[in-house]
Amino acid sequence: MHLTPDEIELWAEGLLGAARTMHLTECSLCLAEAEQERKVLLELVALPRFAPSARFADHVMAQVKIRAPSGEF
Amino acid sequence: MVAWAKQGHEAAFRELVRRYERPVFSLLYRMVRDRALAEDLAQETFIKVLNGIKSYKPEFKFSSWIFKIANNAAIDHIRRRSIDTLSLDGAPDAQTPEAMKATAIQLDAKGETPLQEVENRELGSAIERAIGRLRPEYRACILLRHVEGYSYEEIAATLDLPLGTVKTYIHRARNELRGYLEDRRAETRGRDGP
Ligand SMILES: [Zn+2]
Repeated sequence: MHLTPDEIELWAEGLLGAARTMHLTECSLCLAEAEQERKVLLELVALPRFAPSARFADHVMAQVKIRAPSGEF
Repeated sequence: MVAWAKQGHEAAFRELVRRYERPVFSLLYRMVRDRALAEDLAQETFIKVLNGIKSYKPEFKFSSWIFKIANNAAIDHIRRRSIDTLSLDGAPDAQTPEAMKATAIQLDAKGETPLQEVENRELGSAIERAIGRLRPEYRACILLRHVEGYSYEEIAATLDLPLGTVKTYIHRARNELRGYLEDRRAETRGRDGP
């Protein structure tokens, strides 16, 4: 039986059990799909995080209600 | 930290902004693909979060709460605009090839500002462009899953979606990404071919 999308994802993450992984040795269809899936996953997990501009926090803080030393907002 | 922030302390607020500004900004930037707009939406998100911090329920993951507000801001914006300016093929509601061409050309026609140069550099890779072509709902799921490392359950709670829907979105999104990346490889091969 062909691998399900869930199984392909597990394989791409290195988490698929040995019994089902065996299927890939006999099915080029599933193997091709699984390899493509792994390529996409590798590109996705390598995505960087971006930073906002340097004054971002100051701009936010200027519009947030801060507790005064007296304890009042 | 959150408990401290709940008392309205400036240092705690600043620490929360410092901790979450990159993840929140990155999500929004990839959702709207416009740096200035993403920054406005990120500001709006943090102001809402910090001014409303007393209503935060600790049984919910704090980052999930921020992402929920950020995602709502992005989706609201995209709906308000009604056209998805991010689609590289033109607006998604453009049904005919002519309409697609018209909206796509509109995007091309804008002169490139220094900010747009940065955007092209940051979001110009094949995978970023492919993400930009996904439906916004798919995009949010895929980003939370793979950039933030959220589980399906956490994504469902964050985006108020049934678990099955989240799984479907992510599988469809990855199929589409695979398709876009394959198309690009085929194009590249076609160009460089004999
Ligand atoms: Zn198979």
